[in-house]
Amino acid sequence: MNSKRVFGRVARYGLLGALCLIFAFPLLWMVSYSLRSVALPPPVRLEFFAPPIAFENYARVLGVLPLLQYMGNSLKVVALAVPLTVLFASWTGFALAQVSRRVRVPLLALSVALLLVPAPALWVPRFLLFAQLGWIYTFAPLIAPALMGTSPFYAIMFYIAFARIPLDLYESARLDGAHPLTVWYALALPLARPTLVAVTLLSAVAYWSNFVDPLLYLRSEANYTLPVGVQILEQAIKANWPLLMAGAVLMAAPVVLLFGFTQRLFLQGQDSLVRWLR
Amino acid sequence: MTVVLAPMRNRASYRLQIHLLLVPYGLALGLLVFAPMLYTLALSFTEYDIFSPPRWIALGNFTRLLSDSLFWTALGNSLWFALGTVLLRVAGALLLALALNRDGRAIEFARAVIYLPTIMPEVAYALVWLLILNPGYGPLNLALGAVGLPQFPWLQTEFTARLSLVVMSGFELGEGFVLLLAALQTIPHELFEASALDGASRAQTFRRVIWPLLVPSLLLLAFRDTALSFYDSFAPSVITTETGPYYATFFLPNYIFNKSFGLFQYGYGSAMTVCLYLVGLLLIALQYGALKRGQASDEL
Repeated sequence: MNSKRVFGRVARYGLLGALCLIFAFPLLWMVSYSLRSVALPPPVRLEFFAPPIAFENYARVLGVLPLLQYMGNSLKVVALAVPLTVLFASWTGFALAQVSRRVRVPLLALSVALLLVPAPALWVPRFLLFAQLGWIYTFAPLIAPALMGTSPFYAIMFYIAFARIPLDLYESARLDGAHPLTVWYALALPLARPTLVAVTLLSAVAYWSNFVDPLLYLRSEANYTLPVGVQILEQAIKANWPLLMAGAVLMAAPVVLLFGFTQRLFLQGQDSLVRWLR
Repeated sequence: MTVVLAPMRNRASYRLQIHLLLVPYGLALGLLVFAPMLYTLALSFTEYDIFSPPRWIALGNFTRLLSDSLFWTALGNSLWFALGTVLLRVAGALLLALALNRDGRAIEFARAVIYLPTIMPEVAYALVWLLILNPGYGPLNLALGAVGLPQFPWLQTEFTARLSLVVMSGFELGEGFVLLLAALQTIPHELFEASALDGASRAQTFRRVIWPLLVPSLLLLAFRDTALSFYDSFAPSVITTETGPYYATFFLPNYIFNKSFGLFQYGYGSAMTVCLYLVGLLLIALQYGALKRGQASDEL
């Protein structure tokens, strides 16, 4: 009986290990291959981190294309779009938590429905709009979605967080003569800190990784962001896999590291969403 | 008098200002979503190349679509991809959430690892899969060879190329996994205990207790993944398969992109966009219907 239990334990950890290996494999292989010397022939069997470890691949890939400049552009987009996203999504959520049912219910229903609009359905008209406005030679098309809080989902997340704050608290702040923006900034946001952090992280990752918008809406090379840069890299040095993977790691590393340090926020905090759904 | 009125005025202005906070959201939605939707619909009845004003051609674009075999190929591929990824993601997320709904450091670590493919930038993810599926020295074929299984040129046949994209997208199930995990954790323990006291088996407990509570989350997930699938097919089809072989991974968004941004046929692209909306709606309606019917038969 005891050996049976030990066996069960071993089997369970084995399965868990296999699961982790499968889901981590793309990342592991990417990192491992980015450090593979370009002088080595392609592998004939599975091998991780084959010697010699070639850190110079990273320096070399930066010489192929101005990836650092593209990275700077991506950072600029993130730095502009994320605060705007948090600002407008939280304003929307804050207002939704306090307006009457008559206003709130249709707006929330609309926001949920908008989550079901396929993004490619907006490509053509948005491009024509941005072209009309003369925005396609600037970063503006990449940052524009932040004006609606990037995704109605973020507005909903803030609504759920703010709706958990008792209405009496808002009411007493109002009776003290506080301006709504003061209540929002000094009372509501600090109480919704987990949501604030989660939206910041999620939107930062989304803007950093965005590949399609710059591909569609940017017409000047100087404005290219890192995902477009890495795609061009692929066209330029096809089959030079170690350098290509180094480029991919440069793009993935900040996201994965950020995730590593904050994974609890990604993996938790959906409870209120689930309760709200019921 | 003023003593009574001041708070009233204060209250009215507060309410007004609260409503004003909704204005940016409304304006941005109007500019970035509703106006584009209407614009698409209007342009779908025109011929438009951006250089000269749109020319009204009534249903011209739609009749052209009917006889455009590449459009039907792209539409079929998109349906294939949507059904495949939604099924894989929702079923995978549900199974993983059920399996990992317990405490422990190893479990917590595994949950984070499962989220990795979801968090990866799409270009990096698509690129590494191109390497993974390489016929000669890709790790998938190397692993198959190592255990004596036949190797396969995954991206060179139509069926396996499409399947590869579905599978690689299927691994990006982190959001659904987290949502369902949360849904499971919000089920009160007493429900399980009551069900066990009634002598219910594990399968019965799942069907009677867990499943009904998961349905709202599952529906949201399936709908959302359906809408997402059109976007999610784009980067891998451009980078991993280059829409090949023989248009096997050429999807509706690829065609919209090529016609509009490559050939300046914005009217034709808009007509296809209208079809994209219709297909999305149809898929969601079908899923909703299937689930409702499933629930109805449960109650009998």
